[in-house]
Amino acid sequence: MNRRDALKKSALALGAAAGAPTLLSLLQACAKTDRLTWTPVFLSEDQARFISSFVDFLLPKTETPGGLDVKADVFIDLMYAKTYDEAGQKQVVADIEKFNADCKEKYGNVFAELSEEDKTACFKGHEANSPKFPKTVWGGAVGPREPVGFYRGLKSTVLWAYFSSEEIGKNVLSYDPIPGDYLGCIPLSDVGNIWSL
Amino acid sequence: MANFNIDADKNLTYDAIVIGSGISGGWAAKELCEAGLKTLVLERGRIVEHVVDYPTMTLDPWEHELRGGLTPEQKAKHPKGGRSGFIGAMNEHFHANDLENPYTEVKPFMWVRAHQMGGRSLLWGKQTYRWSDLDFEANAKDGHGVDWPIRYKDIEPWYTHVEKFAGISGEALGLPQLPDSHFLPPMELNCVEKHVKARIEKEFNGRNMIIGRVAHLTEPLNGRGKCQFRNRCDRGCPYGAYFSSNAVTLPAANATGNLTIRPFSIVQSVVYDEQKGKASGVRIIDAETGEDIVYKAKIVFVNASTLSTTQILLNSTSNRFPNGLGNDSGELGHNLMDHTYRVGAMGTVEGFEDQYYKGRRPNGIYIPRYVNLKDGPQSDKFVRGFGFQGGGGRSGWGAGGNQEDFGGNFKDGLMKPGPWEFFITGFSECLPYHENQVYLNKDVLDKWGQPTLSIDAEWKANELALNDQARKDAKEMLERAGLKDIMEFDNKHEMGFGIHEMGTARMGRDPKTSVLNGNNQVHGCENVFVTDGACMTSSSCVNPSLTYMALSARAANHAVSELKKMNL
Ligand SMILES: Cc1cc2nc3c(=O)[nH]c(=O)nc-3n(C[C@H](O)[C@H](O)[C@H](O)COP(=O)(O)OP(=O)(O)OC[C@H]3O[C@@H](n4cnc5c(N)ncnc54)[C@H](O)[C@@H]3O)c2cc1C
Ligand code: SF4
Repeated sequence: MNRRDALKKSALALGAAAGAPTLLSLLQACAKTDRLTWTPVFLSEDQARFISSFVDFLLPKTETPGGLDVKADVFIDLMYAKTYDEAGQKQVVADIEKFNADCKEKYGNVFAELSEEDKTACFKGHEANSPKFPKTVWGGAVGPREPVGFYRGLKSTVLWAYFSSEEIGKNVLSYDPIPGDYLGCIPLSDVGNIWSL
Repeated sequence: MANFNIDADKNLTYDAIVIGSGISGGWAAKELCEAGLKTLVLERGRIVEHVVDYPTMTLDPWEHELRGGLTPEQKAKHPKGGRSGFIGAMNEHFHANDLENPYTEVKPFMWVRAHQMGGRSLLWGKQTYRWSDLDFEANAKDGHGVDWPIRYKDIEPWYTHVEKFAGISGEALGLPQLPDSHFLPPMELNCVEKHVKARIEKEFNGRNMIIGRVAHLTEPLNGRGKCQFRNRCDRGCPYGAYFSSNAVTLPAANATGNLTIRPFSIVQSVVYDEQKGKASGVRIIDAETGEDIVYKAKIVFVNASTLSTTQILLNSTSNRFPNGLGNDSGELGHNLMDHTYRVGAMGTVEGFEDQYYKGRRPNGIYIPRYVNLKDGPQSDKFVRGFGFQGGGGRSGWGAGGNQEDFGGNFKDGLMKPGPWEFFITGFSECLPYHENQVYLNKDVLDKWGQPTLSIDAEWKANELALNDQARKDAKEMLERAGLKDIMEFDNKHEMGFGIHEMGTARMGRDPKTSVLNGNNQVHGCENVFVTDGACMTSSSCVNPSLTYMALSARAANHAVSELKKMNL
């Protein structure tokens, strides 16, 4: 058992016992082997680590940039800070804590610390159990509606953060801010990737 | 740039006052100014100069800190209008503040307002269709409401007049129920829309699917540029390619030298002169200083938008008109109409996977009304009819949220266009019911201490039956056109969602049952004209704003000739 695991076990053993701050801060200090490279404006460091790992697992780097390369996590933190009201912010924190608590229960650790396999199992479980977004017409939902829950909501937020970034919007997708004309029928091969706007 | 004259003179009697600078007021101002009348436009909001005051018109998502997201403070200003789903950071500054301008929903009613120079002409969807005698004769034929005092032949030259200046693109079809406009070249349908069109027109005798007719330039006109297919219209158009008061009518009015537009001027009432038996001017509250000012004019055009216009008239009381200006009939505030919205069907189309399109077309398709025409299918379940708007396109990365997938391949897959999707939604006609109404509420005051409106209106059996049929027909059309994964929907929403509020000061032949005459003059106070949606006697099933434009131009020219004859 390495030092970090040992500390964690004892921290767990202590539970929420008072008087553990030194231990906890030690623990946090250890956990920061992969320290955040940015300073969250809303999230705590641990919550930010959750968002970063979620982003990275959902949209990893391939031949195209990954979610972290375009700082999707940084934007999501900003969005929580500036577009959520207080109730929404409280809810997001509770949802992150719950997500991690579930991970701990099922896989023995918070999401950021899970193995690829456990992360995969975790995402698959959420995919299977999360309701889908309704279809929309002109900005409004149509057809059956059900709250999609935290997982699918965050997934779509990550997609937004990624695809609305300058790197993806300008350099990866097909970018044409002033098309000039509308051509209703052209070979897809003339365009390649989807239009970014 | 236009540089508007905003210094209104209290001591001057203007030839004309126009209340509101939206679609209808802009037209009234242009026609009156061009006829040589010194015209004062009173606008409750700020000046929005074409191009200069369009701060978001070219912003890409990443150029905005929150990428189009709204702050809680911004959201809090739109608890009502926000229900439309249309308000985002790129256009929030063009939507009225619901908190400063409260109204009471006796029954749920979404009222979307825009309080600035240009009004909702900066936000509208630009779908523009002529009405026909099917519409102008409808009330007389089936007995709902009162008869329109005009017919198609009365308005036809005025449609042509406004279309030539506004610029309407579309395809001529020669349908009696949807007369052709004076058209600029139509926009193109995409592959899937062409395919669905061919199938629907083959499968259903008498049905047509066309590209939407829209107030967009597809060729330059009068110094305005053609549409560049950016689909960022509700931020303001740098090319002036779509019709707005700001880009089209108000600059023309200004060019005559006869226009004064006074911003921050909340019209409270029209002042009635008991001796002369006509209006002498308009009372305003300065939105910034709270000052109470009266402006005088020979004629007054009330174009504050349907419900705001009626609010002003209800608030304009005198000995002669104790219940509101022109309200001898008791119909002022009544017969509120709108169009139903968001009932229809959607599905996917296979076989065009290697096809795509270029450009973001600010327009969709239109299926004109086909039920209860002179020839063709008749319904015994409802009177009147519906038309459909919609369109097709390929899904993008947004569809990823619902895909049960994640990881590198998932991400890279979202870079490619998804399936072709196609949808249509019905817009049904709404009958004029006396009990669908608005009235003044003196218990709820706005930021300036003025009484507000209570709105008490709902869909009734005929609208629901039309909707039901529209949904079934939508599904059937998509099925027979060969679509897959078809979903029909009916998102039962309240009135107001159509953003086509009409009626509440209707035109009619008889002063005992209507508020306005056949030239949009207030019965009993003929130097006051109402030419926005308040004047509508029935609602048709097609978008109304082109008809407001034509009626405004027509009434303004009538007013000028009556002034010349010293009749007003
Ligand atoms: C998102 C959206 C999409 C739409 N799509 C379409 C479409 O495709 N086709 C169509 O035909 N219609 C459409 N409409 C409706 C269209 O915008 C309106 O029918 C049209 O703008 C009405 O013109 P108006 O002159 O009556 O009022 P508005 O354009 O609303 O202008 C009213 C003006 O009066 C001012 N005002 C109000 N009260 C006062 C007062 N007391 N004193 C002084 N000034 C006052 C306001 O500030 C405003 O400037 C759409 C609307 C919206 C919001
Ligand atoms: S789509 Fe056309 S009309 Fe709309 S803002 Fe762009 S250029 Fe202007």
